Amino acid sequence: MTASYPIIAQAVVDTVGVVGGVDARAIAAGLLTGIAFGAILQRVGASSYEMIVNMLRLKDLTVMKFFFLAIAVGSLGMYVVDSAGTAHIGIAPLYLLGITVGGLIFGVGWALSGYCPGTSLVAMGEGKVDAAITVFGGLVGALTLSLTWDWIRPALVDPLNYGPKSIPDILGVKPLLVAAVLAAIIVAFVIYLDHISTGRKPAAGKAHGTPVGR
Amino acid sequence: MELAEQQAAAKKRMSWLLGGILLGLLNTFAVGTYGALGVSRNFVVIDEFLVRLFGTNLATTNSYLSLMPTQVDWLFMILPGMVIGGFLAALLTGTLNPRSVPRLWKSRFGDSKPKRFATAFAGGFLLLFGARIAGGCTSGHVLSGAAQLAIAGFLFGASIFASGIVTAKLLYRRKAS
Repeated sequence: MTASYPIIAQAVVDTVGVVGGVDARAIAAGLLTGIAFGAILQRVGASSYEMIVNMLRLKDLTVMKFFFLAIAVGSLGMYVVDSAGTAHIGIAPLYLLGITVGGLIFGVGWALSGYCPGTSLVAMGEGKVDAAITVFGGLVGALTLSLTWDWIRPALVDPLNYGPKSIPDILGVKPLLVAAVLAAIIVAFVIYLDHISTGRKPAAGKAHGTPVGR
Repeated sequence: MELAEQQAAAKKRMSWLLGGILLGLLNTFAVGTYGALGVSRNFVVIDEFLVRLFGTNLATTNSYLSLMPTQVDWLFMILPGMVIGGFLAALLTGTLNPRSVPRLWKSRFGDSKPKRFATAFAGGFLLLFGARIAGGCTSGHVLSGAAQLAIAGFLFGASIFASGIVTAKLLYRRKAS
């Protein structure tokens, strides 16, 4: 696979029309990682309007179980890799107002469209027309934010901004330990979710974790 | 797609268990190679490319667009990758779905395309407007951020589920009339 990176990358670079200063290997790796990301989301059904909206209605928790499990596995994996000293961990800054307000706005958009930014792209790839329109709305929303950034930043981003803060920073313990505890809590929670969702709908529980079309 | 076909497509899906493990491993691979998975910043990068294409100087004068990379980078390539990944996975499993109005939406709001498209547009607008205020979306802040144990990721995750659940419940509440 390594050998095929530069060829694909050159094609990509040519298509995008960028010359010089681009790390072709990084470009190809990003593209392949994106393809894998999109394919997994599509196969699980996370790019389905029904699956997302029914999750938010708390009617079908399949995507929630998938997503939480991915966080648990990712957390453990990242910090195992990090303890070997090679991970690219980047902790986001904690600013209480902007993250809360931005999240609340995002949630409304999530329920209205039935997509998040990533799954709208995947669903567009599947041919869903409404998803392509969500992507277009997203581009307009991101541009609007850019044009109003000089007002939003002092109001929501600069105040109560504590910089990059992680749980292990605050507790003063090793990140891998926190990741292991978090993963255990999430796995227990996912098992619980699976138990209540299959318990509530016994006909749907053909096998553990088998999504049933509705 | 007809209902029966859609149900057949749903039955062919990957289980949440396998999918969750694979996505967690993919994010581990990403962090081990270049960085954590993220999507929403890339919408701003496209905007930056577009304003340059239209010959405005916003890409350098605007305080936010000027923070964006001027060339495609590893993180940006996630965006076209996801579109291609969704297309290929759907193509190879026979689940391509060129529909305009989702089935569940139709059952609640009818089959008007303008109505669905207007809501899909408004939803997309709010998604990216909110995500860029917060500095990340479901991918960057929750899938990656919470996994990296960032407090911002947990706060963002709680916020999106809170308003998402309330909005979805309101949209699909039982009709009084």
